[in-house]
Amino acid sequence: MPVFTLPSIVAVALLMAFPVVYTLYMSVHSWYASSLTSPQFIGLGNFRRAFLEDDRFRNALWLTVYFTAFATALQLVLGVSLALVLNRPFRGKGLVRSVFLLPMVATPVAIALVWMMMYNPTLGVMNYLVGLVGLGPYRWVSNAAIVVPALAVVDTWEWTPLITLITLAGLATLPIEPYESALIDGASVTQMFWRITLPLLRPTIIVALLFRAIDCLKTFDIIYVMTQGGPGFASETLNVYTFQVGLFYFHIGYASSLLVILFALVLGVSLLLIKVRRAAW
Amino acid sequence: MRVSLKTWFLSIVLSLLLASPALAQKFDWQQAKGTQLRVLLNKHPWQGAIEPHLKEFETLTGIKLVAEVYPEDQFRAKVLVELTSGASSIDVFMSMPAQEGLKYVRAGWLQPVDEFLKNPALTAPDYNWSDFLEKTREAMVIEGKIVGLPIQVENTSLMYRKDVFQKYNVKVPTTLDELEAAAKALNGKAMTDDGQPGYGIVARGKRAAATSQFAAYLHAMGSTWLAPNREPIFNNEDGIKALELYGRLLRLYGPPGSENNHWYEASSIFSQGKAAMYTDANSLFPVIEDAQKSKVVGKVGYALFPRGPKGQYGSTVAAWGLAMPKTSQNQKAAWLFMQWATAKEQVLAVQSEKGVLGARESVWKDPKGMAKVPADLRESLTVGSKVGTPLWNPPVVAVAECRDAIGAAIVVAIQGGEVRAAANKAATDVRRIMLETEKK
Repeated sequence: MPVFTLPSIVAVALLMAFPVVYTLYMSVHSWYASSLTSPQFIGLGNFRRAFLEDDRFRNALWLTVYFTAFATALQLVLGVSLALVLNRPFRGKGLVRSVFLLPMVATPVAIALVWMMMYNPTLGVMNYLVGLVGLGPYRWVSNAAIVVPALAVVDTWEWTPLITLITLAGLATLPIEPYESALIDGASVTQMFWRITLPLLRPTIIVALLFRAIDCLKTFDIIYVMTQGGPGFASETLNVYTFQVGLFYFHIGYASSLLVILFALVLGVSLLLIKVRRAAW
Repeated sequence: MRVSLKTWFLSIVLSLLLASPALAQKFDWQQAKGTQLRVLLNKHPWQGAIEPHLKEFETLTGIKLVAEVYPEDQFRAKVLVELTSGASSIDVFMSMPAQEGLKYVRAGWLQPVDEFLKNPALTAPDYNWSDFLEKTREAMVIEGKIVGLPIQVENTSLMYRKDVFQKYNVKVPTTLDELEAAAKALNGKAMTDDGQPGYGIVARGKRAAATSQFAAYLHAMGSTWLAPNREPIFNNEDGIKALELYGRLLRLYGPPGSENNHWYEASSIFSQGKAAMYTDANSLFPVIEDAQKSKVVGKVGYALFPRGPKGQYGSTVAAWGLAMPKTSQNQKAAWLFMQWATAKEQVLAVQSEKGVLGARESVWKDPKGMAKVPADLRESLTVGSKVGTPLWNPPVVAVAECRDAIGAAIVVAIQGGEVRAAANKAATDVRRIMLETEKK
């Protein structure tokens, strides 16, 4: 029945394969959308420029890695801890679980706007809260030194529940036998966590990590809404920079090569994590 | 010399004829009757004000208008994409020549209108091009050609709290030195409704957005973007002084977090009564005078942007205009529309009905034209638009990219970093961007 799959194959080819192939094609050309000259083939010129001459690109690359590492690490610790807490039987467990999922279903732009107000240095609630424990006031997303962690906190607020959810599913599938034998052997709760629960959960956690890492590498909405890459270029990640180059400077060729680099980065991180998942502990 | 009765009689009749509207009406508005025009408009107060009058144009000329309105970002992208395709059917569009003019002219997309303007068969005798405030005319000129007709003008100017200046007995600044002194003197003084302290000054600090307002400081200080040989010179001594001043004002006497403030955030702080001064486009006055949202209605003065140490003016003159693509198949009709929309009657209508800041001097002298606009704003706008500079953007092809590069230096200045190094880096970046985008 291959004929019935034809429409979907055509749709995929048109909507996915073509843009990818065209981006690859454009990435080795120099072309401004506003020029009357057609694209000029320049080989790897765009890539050479990115890595050797463009300090805005290198800054963006570093910030992308920094943001991703910071956000995923924070989400991983919080998410797994939350899952362990929620895995215990208590009253109203179903309700609490549902409530914890709410941030994930909210619109990122709305979340970003609310956090903007909370981070406002003069009127926002964040400075009040940290003031209660004797810290601050901070300028949050206006301070180049802490803007990336401040944005990562927003991402964490939104996406920690995803890690919790996946980890909870993993916890539900754990066999009971290793714990029984460990109890008989006189293992403590801490030992059981580090020696049994965590190793058994590892594949699950790495899947969660994979999802989050890919998503963080290409985060755009909250950063663009909250800072547009500012102050200066202090939160300009690869995706935000590429957006500027492509849709404000209309340098389509260079923007395509930046997208290819971002794609390679996401692919590389994914492969690495998949390898770690398969590897022996 | 004796003049005969006949000659007298003849000259009286002639002058009567010339002065009477009868002759003016002889201009043939119907010469492109039956044409259909596609007009692209940006969502903007001018567009909102002119739209109810478009029917009058159709009646006068027999030309049918098909107007499309888009929000600013989509509008710019739409015009660019259509013109890039080379097969655009746009006949007239709103344009800011200082933003996209050079790019469009170099690409050969804009139809210069000098010849239309000179031709008495195409331009009504009472159109009077020289009635437009001097620098708004200049703002429409790219590489020596007029590429548009001005529909709205705005200047970077000084908006200040009259009540606060009076209460603390501070003189309204007319020079940059006085500006800094006033910001220092008023910073932290009580100025909100409930007696809370406010900041000395507020202005944009967000990278690219700040550039167009910093332009006023740059020019008042005596520097500019490019030398006549098109080398960046905004990093010369005067330029660095301007950057340092802008940074110092916002860092020491401005609200924390200025680096992320666009006009929206800055004008909110000012209209909430939390700042004594605000330098930005005076076209923001409807936001500040909006009784629904603003707490400083009627308390704000609109002054000319302070002058520099050598008396230089800083007021920038930013003007929206109507332009015509070369590809338009209906250039005569398009010209008639551009001309009608910027004729005195229409400028007066949009200015008196909606407070749109028009560019015609005669309208600013008309009591009706002033009705919706504070008197001191009229004063500073008409002066500023004659003595200011149309260079609120660097005159380059890649304006957005260069604004980002220069904006980065402004942010460094606000943060108190190495201003000279940042300015030099910005100049290097601008030179590189120009090399890439302006090679023939």
